[in-house]
Amino acid sequence: MTDADLDAIIHAPARLRVVATLAALGEGDELSFPKLRKLLDMTAGNLSTHLRKLEDAGYVRVVKTHEGRTPATYLALTPRGRAAFEDYTAALTTLLRGAGA
Amino acid sequence: MANEHDDRDDERAPHPEAEPALDPAESLRLIRDQQERARSATEPDTRLLCLAWGVAWLVGYLVLWTSALRTASDPDAVRFTAGAGWVVGAQPEPWAFWVFSGLIASAVVLTIVHSVSRTAGTRGVSARTGAMYGWAWMLGFVTYGFILGGLARAGASAEVMALASNALACLVVGLLYLGGAAAFGDRGLFLLGLWILLVAAVATYAGLPLTYLVMALLGGGGFLVMAGVEHLLGARRRRHALVDVPGAAGPRAVGSEVTDD
Repeated sequence: MTDADLDAIIHAPARLRVVATLAALGEGDELSFPKLRKLLDMTAGNLSTHLRKLEDAGYVRVVKTHEGRTPATYLALTPRGRAAFEDYTAALTTLLRGAGA
Repeated sequence: MANEHDDRDDERAPHPEAEPALDPAESLRLIRDQQERARSATEPDTRLLCLAWGVAWLVGYLVLWTSALRTASDPDAVRFTAGAGWVVGAQPEPWAFWVFSGLIASAVVLTIVHSVSRTAGTRGVSARTGAMYGWAWMLGFVTYGFILGGLARAGASAEVMALASNALACLVVGLLYLGGAAAFGDRGLFLLGLWILLVAAVATYAGLPLTYLVMALLGGGGFLVMAGVEHLLGARRRRHALVDVPGAAGPRAVGSEVTDD
């Protein structure tokens, strides 16, 4: 296995951090956009760009809602996104073992 | 998307693909650190809560115990040796109850503020479970208040009231820990609940004023031990278990320079 076999969507460090953060939540849990942004220290625009890519790939679910009159956005990994993250970490571990042998 | 929340800086943001890719070890370390950060920002810290309650119980009940000893007509008669000199049913002075209540109230406020601020910005299954759990505490203690009121109306003596108020509070706490353990799949919390129930039984049988000493040492001490155990387990988990990869041996090789806090 080589680097080329790794999931390109998750492989970018910024998106890897997004996916890792959302994967730390339980299944069925969602994180608000401002809290996710704070956890990642990203600008809103930068995070939005990455989230759009992840949403297009079907890895992230974006829920737009209202809290009172304030619009709010919540993010969660889709089952497909969670599976992709697990495959990705498994692939990394394999690569690491291969390099160490 | 979603940029109605904050500064609109799409144009100034660096191009996402400009970042260099990481090697596998760096990537795994990044994942581990980020997940640790996400968990500590969304889940209450058991160590902090156990520490707060341990101190509140240890100090609060010790104050009740020492005050009850002072009120015994002959303080010298109260000894650890059982016998004729033992003063049974000695009650603490009002100021001691105020100190005790103040400590318990502080722990309650800290628990609520900490839990609410940690879980803010999350939604879904865990948030709903947590909200129901929080309401269970509230309902338990509102009912507790009414039951004590009813017992007092029925003419329960000061000694019975003192024992019942302590025992019923512990029963609510112990059972809710067991329920929380079941809801969150937390074995440590189950042990803590079991311990609190045992302490409540022993403390009530011990009788006043010994009840308060049992509560301080075994109850407060139990929380402090729990805080210590959680701290050690947390430190070990950060060092070893990293990414949830079935059968992964890799993370340990990734470098174990994780620092304890």
